[in-house]
Amino acid sequence: MTFVLILLKSILIGGLVGFAAGMGAARMFNAPNVQALGAFRTLGEMNACEGDPASHFSFGLGFFFNAWASTVGAGAFTQDITHRVIPNWATAALLMRNKKIEETMHNPKKMAFASAIIGMVVVVFLNTTASAIPKSLQITAVKVLVPAAELLINIVMPIIFWLAAIDAGKRSGLWATVFGGLSAMIMGNAVPGVVLGILIGKGVDELGWVKLTKVMFTVIIVLFVLSAFFRGFDVQMIESFKLPVPNWLDSLHGLFNVK
Amino acid sequence: MESMEIDKKSFWYSEWSFPILVGLMSAGVFAGTHMYYQYGVGAFNEVAIVAMLKAGMDGGSYGAAAAFGASFLFARILEGSLVGILDLGGSILTGVGIGIPAILLSVGIKAPITNFSFAIATGLVLGLAIGGIITLVRKYTINQSKASFGADVMMGAGNSSGRFLGPLILISAATASIPIGIGSIIGAVIFYLWKKPIAGGAILGAMVLGAFFPISLK
Repeated sequence: MTFVLILLKSILIGGLVGFAAGMGAARMFNAPNVQALGAFRTLGEMNACEGDPASHFSFGLGFFFNAWASTVGAGAFTQDITHRVIPNWATAALLMRNKKIEETMHNPKKMAFASAIIGMVVVVFLNTTASAIPKSLQITAVKVLVPAAELLINIVMPIIFWLAAIDAGKRSGLWATVFGGLSAMIMGNAVPGVVLGILIGKGVDELGWVKLTKVMFTVIIVLFVLSAFFRGFDVQMIESFKLPVPNWLDSLHGLFNVK
Repeated sequence: MESMEIDKKSFWYSEWSFPILVGLMSAGVFAGTHMYYQYGVGAFNEVAIVAMLKAGMDGGSYGAAAAFGASFLFARILEGSLVGILDLGGSILTGVGIGIPAILLSVGIKAPITNFSFAIATGLVLGLAIGGIITLVRKYTINQSKASFGADVMMGAGNSSGRFLGPLILISAATASIPIGIGSIIGAVIFYLWKKPIAGGAILGAMVLGAFFPISLK
């Protein structure tokens, strides 16, 4: 009975997540005109496969093994299911029939339905298979893909975005450097900061310091301040400079600590 | 910028459909957390992040999961509305899937997590709210002006970063073990001569040789 229950719930969950993941990913290729749901790394990786079904499929497969191992071991799918497996497999399935990425990978409607089906299959499979996958395959995938993906996300992507910002003009280069550095410290990855730097730099280039850009600038500062606060960066920073942490700040942190 | 004509009024591309899109995703992810809570399998996140929720479920504090998830959610909502891509991992998988359940459980509200239909509904409402906030923020920022805010720069960078993955996988395979490195080289060469991106070949080659010459994780 539990098995049937898990099966039925998994079909529904897989369908929902798959549909949204596919539609969100396809919309990324039309951002920022269209608001999308996904990740810059997904965008980069899907472009890296250059519209080749075999590449999309094998890229997804590598992460699928990893996800399967993690699911069997700890019950956690890893974020790769929504970031990598579902969008890449849906793309591979669509490309088998039509080679034009503009009509397949970039089309939210086709991607949504293809991903919904793949999502159902993947989630059902992961939730119902109790038997482990061949250990050697799983370890190879973990040992090869995870460090490569980490290098891409933590080192390569920040550098590429950073250099693009510097080449795009003095203002975006300046703000990307300021925010990128801060974001590397506060958020643990420089990409969000560099992206915000390009945003504000090019925004001011195109519009000047008008109300809109001022509001955006303020929002970015607020974002950094709040991120720093909620990740405890403020206290760490004060302590690193060998200064005493003021009492009011300590009690403010205590106020937001969910017990 | 696009090679195709886009109908911004249709469901698939419009602003108003974005909250629905986020709602569907959140419903599925929140229900995934329900699965994990009930059956110990099915959370849509990394082992390390799920472990924070597990700490609370096992009788410890939900504080870490709640603070981590909520701060991620907040940062990503602001970033997403300005950049045009809402980061799925930070906002939905970690924020809605881990942070919000942790907050609810920490104050003793269990029903949205233990009941499947309730979980779907809770996720849907949360997603609609998040999507709605983003659509609203966009209305007063990006959509007011004709400026591109450097979207072309970001898209260009996003596109070229993907190309690095192939060589990175090869380097990583080369450091994993000698057979895996050789397998990955052979796979990449075959894919290159076949005029395919080398990333796929490098992974497959590494996995084939890794199956015959297993390595240990540590």
